[in-house]
Amino acid sequence: MATQANSVQVGQRRAGKRRGRDLTQAEKLRRGPIDLPFLMLTMLLLIVGLVMLLSASSYAALYDSAAGYKVVDGVIEYGDAMYYFKHQAVYALIGVAAMFLISRMDYQYLRILSVPILVISIVLLILVMTPLGVSANNSKRWLHLFLVAGPTFQPSEIAKMGVILFFAAGLSKRRPGVPTFQKRLRQPLEGLRWFFYWSDLKELIPYVLVLGVVLALIGLQPHLSCMILVAAAAAAVLFAAGIRIGWFIAGAGGLAGIVYYVLVIVGYNGTRIKSWLDPWWDPTDKSYQVLQSIYAVASGGLTGLGFGQSRQKYLYLPEEQNDYIFSIICEELGLIGAVMIILLFALLIIRGYYLALHAKDKFGTLLIVGIITLLATQVFLNIAVVLNVIPSTGISLPFFSYGGTALAIQLAEMGIVLSVSRQIAAPPQG
Amino acid sequence: MNRQQPKHTKRNQGREAKRRIFRRTVVLLCVFGVLLFIPLVYQLYYWQIVRHDELEEEAVEQQTSELSVTANRGSIYDANGNVLAISSTAYDVIISPKAILEKQSELDTDRQEALEKAAEAEDEETRAKYTEEAEACDIDVVQVIAQGLEEILEDVTAEDIEKKCEDTTSQYKKLASKVSDSVAENVRSLISEYDLSGCVYMTPNSKRFYPYSTLAAQVIGFTNDSGGAYGLEAQLEDTLSGTAGLLVTAKNNQGTDLKNFYQDYYDAEDGSDVYLTLDATIQSYCEKYLEEGIEANDVQNGGFVIVMECDTGAILGMASSPTYDLNDYSTVIDSVLQSQVSSGEISESDALNTMWRNKAVNDTYEPGSTFKSIVLAAALEEGVVSESSTFNCSGSIMVSGWSNPIYCSERTGHGTQTLAEAVGHSCNPAFITIGQKLGTETFYDYMEAFGLMSTTGIDVPGESQGVVWSEDNFGIVQLATASFGQRFTVTPIALITAINAAVNGGYLREPYVVDYIVDEDGSITYQADNTAVRQVISEETSSRVASLLEGVVTSYTGKNAYMEGYRIGGKTGTSQTLVDDEYVVSFVGFAPADDPEIIVLMALDSPQVASEGSDYCTNGVYISGGNMVAPLVGQLIADILDYRGYIKEYTADDLSGATVSMPTVVGYDEDSAAEILTAKDLTYRVVGDGDTVTGQIPSTGVSLPSGSQVILYMGEEVPEDQVIMPDLTGKSPDTVLEILSELDLYMVASGSSSYYTSTTLAYKQSIEAGELVDRGTTVTVYFSDDTIVDYVDNDMDE
Repeated sequence: MATQANSVQVGQRRAGKRRGRDLTQAEKLRRGPIDLPFLMLTMLLLIVGLVMLLSASSYAALYDSAAGYKVVDGVIEYGDAMYYFKHQAVYALIGVAAMFLISRMDYQYLRILSVPILVISIVLLILVMTPLGVSANNSKRWLHLFLVAGPTFQPSEIAKMGVILFFAAGLSKRRPGVPTFQKRLRQPLEGLRWFFYWSDLKELIPYVLVLGVVLALIGLQPHLSCMILVAAAAAAVLFAAGIRIGWFIAGAGGLAGIVYYVLVIVGYNGTRIKSWLDPWWDPTDKSYQVLQSIYAVASGGLTGLGFGQSRQKYLYLPEEQNDYIFSIICEELGLIGAVMIILLFALLIIRGYYLALHAKDKFGTLLIVGIITLLATQVFLNIAVVLNVIPSTGISLPFFSYGGTALAIQLAEMGIVLSVSRQIAAPPQG
Repeated sequence: MNRQQPKHTKRNQGREAKRRIFRRTVVLLCVFGVLLFIPLVYQLYYWQIVRHDELEEEAVEQQTSELSVTANRGSIYDANGNVLAISSTAYDVIISPKAILEKQSELDTDRQEALEKAAEAEDEETRAKYTEEAEACDIDVVQVIAQGLEEILEDVTAEDIEKKCEDTTSQYKKLASKVSDSVAENVRSLISEYDLSGCVYMTPNSKRFYPYSTLAAQVIGFTNDSGGAYGLEAQLEDTLSGTAGLLVTAKNNQGTDLKNFYQDYYDAEDGSDVYLTLDATIQSYCEKYLEEGIEANDVQNGGFVIVMECDTGAILGMASSPTYDLNDYSTVIDSVLQSQVSSGEISESDALNTMWRNKAVNDTYEPGSTFKSIVLAAALEEGVVSESSTFNCSGSIMVSGWSNPIYCSERTGHGTQTLAEAVGHSCNPAFITIGQKLGTETFYDYMEAFGLMSTTGIDVPGESQGVVWSEDNFGIVQLATASFGQRFTVTPIALITAINAAVNGGYLREPYVVDYIVDEDGSITYQADNTAVRQVISEETSSRVASLLEGVVTSYTGKNAYMEGYRIGGKTGTSQTLVDDEYVVSFVGFAPADDPEIIVLMALDSPQVASEGSDYCTNGVYISGGNMVAPLVGQLIADILDYRGYIKEYTADDLSGATVSMPTVVGYDEDSAAEILTAKDLTYRVVGDGDTVTGQIPSTGVSLPSGSQVILYMGEEVPEDQVIMPDLTGKSPDTVLEILSELDLYMVASGSSSYYTSTTLAYKQSIEAGELVDRGTTVTVYFSDDTIVDYVDNDMDE
């Protein structure tokens, strides 16, 4: 890794052209180029996502009252087929604008902003529980943008960022190492104190507390899938920051134990588990969605039915523009198309981690690790549900699923990654 | 790390921390960027490649609606191409409540708009125009449809239709099925009058029609909603039905068709046409004589008749009674069955099953004496008897292993008889002797060889198989009873097949009714194979059997089947059933005896006995095949041979009764006329005293018995009055002749071969009594000798 001194020199060299006043080193660095491969992959996924959304949602829109479907005196007026697409496209533009704006911002400010953002997101999560919260499908997850009016958004989306920022900012400053206690180790209390430091437990406590509060608030909505994502992102940041590996082994073991206990010992066999194990057990009702998804995926075959040629989108597959959009992709584009899209995601994720590895400082590294792990987990969980690898959880597919504010926030997060990428020093030339 | 620096300096710690972050981020990269996607790609492969076909099929099933396009069912024709069964297009009438609702709202909107425009109109003319338009839209669609269709369709009420219209999500409510063309036309005009297309529509369906109604009902069978149900309609279901076409349309999850999305059409393949060996004319003869026999003899359990072509095995006619109307197959039309149902003796469904049965193939019975023809054939073939053999009959015979004597029909015995006489008398002791000469083993082998141990393989459904002793159980007692056709059962079709082999030159031929099948392109896809299954006896033996059986008809128990010029051979049969006082009377006949062309087997099941234990029927006739069935078979054979263009052959004995056609003698003088008439074997008498013949009775071309006396009018007017046909039944031949000549009418005698005996009486006449006829008309009078006593099997346990 290049030393800081080196990178400054490089920055000087690259900012060779001087305009007006001299730039400080930091300023020069901030104006460095953003990472083009990452930007290209993001834009590519966004465009493909929009196009596939148009295909997947056009028929459902005809029958959606939000899109203008209504029955007047027995006469059907169909909705606007482009409704979802248009809506999404507007938010995509807003999101791209936000992405570029944020990418131009020095991410170091986020260190300072991390605590306020976390506090605000916790306040918003509490607000969701008040009558201001908007509920749908037995869950209370949404707030209006202007509290009483405006489009709705999920405060949990902000909470995800809040947690990642807080963790990254805090852990980037950690001074690992154990104070020297050797002389007094024989005293029992000193032994505990030593363990307290040695095991990183002292460091972990505030993070665990913050994470616990956020997860609890999200859990009350309830929003299990979001809890998983926040926990995964937080764990990734802790992991990358160097917290002792034992905690993760213990955590993974504990999680596996709980899953084993619930599924095998208790024999919990809820609707979702049954549908997961046998998609045909209640094909017309309980396992309908899973089965329809499988039908769509399988119908695609190697090359797919062709763009726009999905049959399952004709009201068979519920949520086809949302959590199950990948089913339609599989149906229309086949194995080849689906693997291509998975490859795009994988490249974006790999490039993200690559940027993390090369970030200027630990904060940048941990920030990207948090954001990219969040994205990767979301992609994996969504596709895994669609393919019935895991029971259904209700996670949307980044850049593809319908949901304006979520998309805009997603792009803003990419903006943060790009902002970090600006300050990566180019490898020495010549 | 620098090993030279054992102490953890801050700088070292910072470097170590950085390396740890680096390492761990690489781990995250590998896990989240690569590893996690592996199961996903594998699962994609599993669903999209491994299980693609199977699951896509399941998916397509839910995604498409299939509209089946009915294939036209093939027709069934008789041997001459007459239509026996044909499908005509009919229609199902369907309403779409959903479309009706939409139509209503459309009309309401139009009406509203027109009214608004009328209100806004500035001049009177436009207002009137829009008002009129509004009025035109003021229609209650449901009412229009309900009232309109109630009038057109039978069995559908307006309330019914209104109720069906309430289910406004439905697009398919069937109101009537298989309505005729004319009804469909009315529905169409209703649709066009109110522009109801989409609201009311019709889908083509097909309706089976049987032009001959009852003809060959049990052979042809009928169809119900699921296709062929009985008879050939069921047997040939796959051939006749064809393959339905399919219109596959994509639909969304709410059932709406997505026509512009994709649509596949598979052509319907029409069913093949089936041509039968049955001949509608011969079949109608069969049914006519069968009915006649049943009515005349008060028959309780119906009967059957089979006509087979000797050289091929083709079935020309096959009738069962009681019968039914194919166009209305669930109605009992037979009077005997009707009375049995109304008296509660049998249930309605039993009655239906009875009349649907093809007795000739589905049922078995004890053949009785008709079977003696088989025994005769076997014995002649084996050489155990010959025409010169003699048999002594004392009226009964003792069989070892059986304590009681087995009686002959003639209790006093036939005395010493030749083989021809033994056959003619249907003498049981003689045949038991013949059977014994054959021996159980040979006898049994012949039963097998004549096909009585197996089904014939006829191509109509439900062929039964008779019950015959197993070879181990076939002892000397069984042989004795088998020799005169009792104590084992056969199907009628198996019996006629066997007897045919005995008389047609020895060839066992598989009976068949389907001649050939033609597919929708006109190519023949099936042709019956009429090669012999095997030769059972030699041609020479066969012709000896035939001539012995001809003797039965010319001189003995079969004489009521005698028809001049046809050389009919045959054998009577009367067998007891397991029920007291129920007999099966039968007759098997074939002609011409020197080279059999057709063979007929007819039986009547249970003529009503006059009183308990009586041997006489309620009509006074002694119950026997010779009395009851032989005359019918004789006439049937004559009719069939006439129809087939057979040229009669007269024996020397027949010539006295042969008919000649009246020549023209008008214009000749008496001598010339006499010469012409003599040449024709006619006599004459003269009325008037002119020189030339001015008139004649009968007129030219009328056929009359040779030897008849014609009347020549010499100058006198030919009387043009008509005479009333007298009732001749019950009169002797001499009396009949006398009555007729008084009225200047001529008689052709038919029926019994020996109508000059005192017991021969007329039982039927070709012109009904009471009808007005011209003088000189020839009437055919049928005589029979109803005193023929052939064997009625006595109960062996007696």
